[in-house]
Amino acid sequence: MDFPVLSALIALPAASAIVIMFLPERRSEIVRPLGIVLSLLPVGLSGFLLWGFQRGEAGFQFVERVGWIDRLGVSWHLGVDGISLLLVALTSLLVTVSLGASTSVTHRLRLFTAMILLLEAGLIGVFLSLDLFLFFVFFEVILIPMAFIIGVWGSENRVYAAVKFFLYTALGSALMLAGIISLAFIHQNQLGAIGFSYVDMLNLELGTETQRWLFGAFALAFAIKVPIFPLHTWLPDAHVQAPTAGSVLLAGVLLKLGTYGLLRFALPLFPEAAVDFAPLMATLAVIGIIYGAAVAIAQKDLKKLVAYSSVSHLGFIVLGTFALTSQGLSGSVIQMVNHGLTTGALFLLVGLLYDRRHTKLIADFGGVAQGAPVMAGMFLFMSFASIGLPGLNGFVGEFLILIGSYASLPAFAVVAAAGVILAAVYLLWAYERVFTGEASLPANREVRDLSAGEILLFAPLVAVIIFLGVYPKPALEVIEPSTRAVLERVEEAADYVSPEPVVEFLTGER
Amino acid sequence: MDVSYLAVAPEILLLTGAVLVLMIDVFARPRARVHAWLAALCYLAAAGAVVGQWRRVNVDGGSLSFGETVLLAQHTVALRGILLVAAALGTLAAWPMLAGLGRRAAEGVALVLVAAAGFSLMSVSVNLVLLFVALEIGSIALYVLCGIVRDSPAGDEAAVKYFLLGAFASAIFIYGGALVFAGTGEMGLPGVSAFLGSTVVLRPAVILIGLGLLVVGMSFKVTAAPFHSWAPDVYQGAPAGAVGFMAAVAKVGGFAALLNILFLGFGRYQEAWADGIAVLAAASVAVGTLLAIVQTDVRRMLAYSGVAHAGFILTGMTAGLAGMGGVVFYLGAYSVMAVGAFAAAAAVSGDPPQGPAVDTFAFYRGLGRRSPWVAGVLSLLLIGLSGMPLTSGFIGKFEVFRAAWNGGFRWLVIVGLLASVAAFFYYLRLIVLMYFGSADDEDGPPPEYPSAPVRWALSAAAAITIGLGVFPDRLLSLLG
Repeated sequence: MDFPVLSALIALPAASAIVIMFLPERRSEIVRPLGIVLSLLPVGLSGFLLWGFQRGEAGFQFVERVGWIDRLGVSWHLGVDGISLLLVALTSLLVTVSLGASTSVTHRLRLFTAMILLLEAGLIGVFLSLDLFLFFVFFEVILIPMAFIIGVWGSENRVYAAVKFFLYTALGSALMLAGIISLAFIHQNQLGAIGFSYVDMLNLELGTETQRWLFGAFALAFAIKVPIFPLHTWLPDAHVQAPTAGSVLLAGVLLKLGTYGLLRFALPLFPEAAVDFAPLMATLAVIGIIYGAAVAIAQKDLKKLVAYSSVSHLGFIVLGTFALTSQGLSGSVIQMVNHGLTTGALFLLVGLLYDRRHTKLIADFGGVAQGAPVMAGMFLFMSFASIGLPGLNGFVGEFLILIGSYASLPAFAVVAAAGVILAAVYLLWAYERVFTGEASLPANREVRDLSAGEILLFAPLVAVIIFLGVYPKPALEVIEPSTRAVLERVEEAADYVSPEPVVEFLTGER
Repeated sequence: MDVSYLAVAPEILLLTGAVLVLMIDVFARPRARVHAWLAALCYLAAAGAVVGQWRRVNVDGGSLSFGETVLLAQHTVALRGILLVAAALGTLAAWPMLAGLGRRAAEGVALVLVAAAGFSLMSVSVNLVLLFVALEIGSIALYVLCGIVRDSPAGDEAAVKYFLLGAFASAIFIYGGALVFAGTGEMGLPGVSAFLGSTVVLRPAVILIGLGLLVVGMSFKVTAAPFHSWAPDVYQGAPAGAVGFMAAVAKVGGFAALLNILFLGFGRYQEAWADGIAVLAAASVAVGTLLAIVQTDVRRMLAYSGVAHAGFILTGMTAGLAGMGGVVFYLGAYSVMAVGAFAAAAAVSGDPPQGPAVDTFAFYRGLGRRSPWVAGVLSLLLIGLSGMPLTSGFIGKFEVFRAAWNGGFRWLVIVGLLASVAAFFYYLRLIVLMYFGSADDEDGPPPEYPSAPVRWALSAAAAITIGLGVFPDRLLSLLG
């Protein structure tokens, strides 16, 4: 048997967390470097995955399957395909970055590092699970480290935010558990034995009514996680209260669990219901895009602004998913990665600003660029990437999503396109108020610029952002076969014909 | 009469141990430690007997003995094993309290052994009279144990309350038994089952009322709502160290009796009782969860959480025999976690000297820093009780929900799932206090490091909770 890369990707961070937790108290100075070094191991492994992944294949690769709870038909079943590959890589990268960015954390550092690594194990586990029981285990286990990260190292209102986050998400997953249990029974009735294998579940025949109920249970859980308007109210609290590393991982990866779940489970398992509910989901997505952007414009708090921008950006991803076109789906996947990179970086910058100035209020800033030009440049760069400037990654994703959704839901695409403009409004306006102009306070002039180490943290993000923006072909070659397989499944099972993209719109031919 | 001493060997060993402890104390007056070793020996010997029975049951199948009053079958032996494990852990956790009794330590040890023997006998009894006798052996020992600490008005009050309500419940139970006898002419559950199978009962009212009273009587013991109201008061007033033991053994014994009565004796009436059990389950889940949220005392909170857990176990019972495996697993998981959680609570907040009317949650503020080990284990047990994956609590919940869903009680599963979410709130509340406080919360003096037996009990409870959560397959497939 080959080396179990995927198991190692989950086991290594978990084992590292335990090692860190049990370091002796007097060796506290090595906790931080050791944590970063240990977090590089999964980065290396995901590099190996990227290298070894057969592009152009739709199916799961590196599949591992070992029996776990035989009596329930649960197995330790892992695999990676085009939808999950880049998300796994993104997770491992962002974990290293956020550990590196947490120099301001000194309180209970061992527990902090261990919790981040545990979170990583859970997140990667969610993306790799091909067994619904296993998936649920990871999906739920993540709540504990995340609640700790918000609740122990957050700012003033952290306990409220942590508990709200926990209960909100737990409510969603409880209903999903009911859905999983009933799927397991349908599995038992149709295939003879109880089981949770994702691959087997794709072969179940579900009635229309059943599909609707199950889609509802799954979609609700994922919609809370995304979060889709109007279930987003936990997000600003969690983001604003979380420490920088927590915000980075929350925005960068945790929110993707929702969109990933929709794409991986809700669509292929319940295709008829997905087609039926697509207009509703797309409507909510577009409301989220506009609402999130509008609220972001009105924010006085820089971190809250970035948080609401996530609501808006995630709306694009949901819209792309429920456009049910090949471009829309691929755009959604690549946009998940893009949003993780850019919003993660923006949260990082806000965190670094807060470390220096101990405020997040936009009104307290002004003219920061005078003393910190590199930081200002970085913020501008990340804003451009987030807005979707051509040549940077955001453009690729948003463009694909808009094209894809224009083909099936033109009116929605038109409204959503306004979100792109609004993104420019809130991000550039924020940039102007924070970084440009005369420094109103002396403290703003004296903000320390990014250190060499901090630039090193941003370097891989910048590199990937430019690479994906200029040359997205390899990434799309990874993603497209898998998303096309999802779409074909939906078309086949739901008697649905996905509209071709409007080519004349692209080429100008009529 | 078919006498099989192996069938009751655990009880014989435990009761012999109790008598020996008392006798040795009278004649030799040894130090408390000697009693502890004797008790440990009894538990080990009894566990050995259970293992022997388990092998035999798996080879030869179930067997009745003593005139069809004692049943050795997979589930009864498994329940007996669970009971012994919980009792042994509970005794370990109670040891500081028992040793603290000084000259009366022998009394305490003997009472613990008698209680374990009573409830252990209960788990294999399939005759209503024997059930009643076993129930009383166990319960009376618990009433005394509850008030064993002198100069503790709270303990006295709890003991009297426990005794009065417990005696009331026993009376209801025995009245139910009388009605069942009136209706069927049988006291033995196999006989009742045979009677119901061979006779067309045109007017089953007497039998059903009898069954209802039996269930009500047992509901007191397992703290199912609305018959739970004694539990918070008693658990709060009883000596802190003994609460885990009391809660676990009474619950396992009571549920074992309910299982045997409903599944073995009245399996043919499942349609009649399943709805009733479902209502009882929903009430327990709802009442336990909602009231646990508002508690200001950790032991009361754990008591109400026990009410909710009784509801979850009843949820699995609505499915009849199909739910047996899940119910037994859940009992094993819960009893171990409950013993551990109460032991940790005893180690942290203990018996407040100001009396029980104090907000014991305050003791937990910043505990994660002051006493990382206790806080870590307690958090793990709370996470287990809340039913997070990778703990035995999750597998238990999963199994009972699965059984109830398949049995058609989907509304009950939804109620249970929603309650599980609400339950996160109060389990989380303790964890929040222990870890999420500000730095100055953590300056307080560390609580006394728990003594070695308590540490063993806590470690074992944590290990079992994780072990059964990650590798549940062995136990699940054992339970068929």
